[in-house]
Amino acid sequence: MLTDTTKKGDTPAEVYLYNEFRAINAHVPRRRKSIEELLGESAPQIDCSDGSTHFFRKKELSLLADMLDEEEKKDFMLPMLIEVSSRDNSYAVPSPGGTEAKVLSKICGTTLSPVMNRVPLFKPHLSVIRSVLKTCTQYIFVA
Amino acid sequence: MAIKIQVPRPTKMELSRLKKRHKLATRIQKIVKDRLSLLIMEFLQTVKECAAVRERLIADFSEAYRAYSVAFGYHGKTPLEKEMALSEMPFTVSSGTRNVAGVKLPIFEIEKGEVATAQLRNRIDGSSVLDQSIEQSRKCLETIIQLTELQNSLDLLGTEINKVKRVNNALEFIVIPALDVTIRYLNMKFEERDREETARLKYVKQLLERKEAHAY
Repeated sequence: MLTDTTKKGDTPAEVYLYNEFRAINAHVPRRRKSIEELLGESAPQIDCSDGSTHFFRKKELSLLADMLDEEEKKDFMLPMLIEVSSRDNSYAVPSPGGTEAKVLSKICGTTLSPVMNRVPLFKPHLSVIRSVLKTCTQYIFVA
Repeated sequence: MAIKIQVPRPTKMELSRLKKRHKLATRIQKIVKDRLSLLIMEFLQTVKECAAVRERLIADFSEAYRAYSVAFGYHGKTPLEKEMALSEMPFTVSSGTRNVAGVKLPIFEIEKGEVATAQLRNRIDGSSVLDQSIEQSRKCLETIIQLTELQNSLDLLGTEINKVKRVNNALEFIVIPALDVTIRYLNMKFEERDREETARLKYVKQLLERKEAHAY
């Protein structure tokens, strides 16, 4: 996550740059919900850190629910965060339990295994994942 | 050509501040570029989907008109109008927003009512032809809502891409080059100052040596 903040002696140009930095990740969810929790809601949604709400399509939720068993449903948190690293131009999805890797493998049709609790992705994977899970995934920019 | 930033005093502190700002601007530019490429990817995907949905809509409409004209021929104008008036579908459209790399895009979802089409109408006056035309109309409505969402998303993504492109260009062609030029200018200024200092010291040393020579 980007944690840069403005300081007292900063010039307006620096303040602008810091604000630009902060605005990039303003859409990140305040709290993620489990798929089980979202399936129980009539209008599944989460609050973002900029005050807006992010809705989930029920069709996508049921598609994901079909891929998971009951135990996994409790631990599988949504939206899935796709980390975009500008340092090495890489994309990855954090997968602490390995459930994300399982779901993404099924969607992409290839075996994706986590490396250090992260599922590395390539751009062709991204377009496939984003076309299937439009509302269940979100980008997060990492410096 | 990049314009040099006005520096109040060419000091080392100012140089370190400019270097910090340069580092920050470069980092932001990288992220903005990534965001731009992701937004463009989303935009292209939406364009593809939009074209597919548009084609489907045209096909659905032609099917609906065909079914309607068959029903018109079978029932006649007045009974068809009466049946159509009674065939209102109980459905709701729920709307919300989804976030794509900071862009809020609309999302529409149709929730169909539980009453079936055939249950709404008089079974004696109705026919399978009429059922079909009503079903086709419902399909058209669903596709129209889907297309609305996509068209709106396309519009919003396009606007955001323009904005991000402008920020990226400003950083890439104005802010970073200006910082580069200013840092180079300050470095040159300090090097010049160092050279002057060395020359001055040499001159002073010469003077002192000359003084010492005259003293003997």
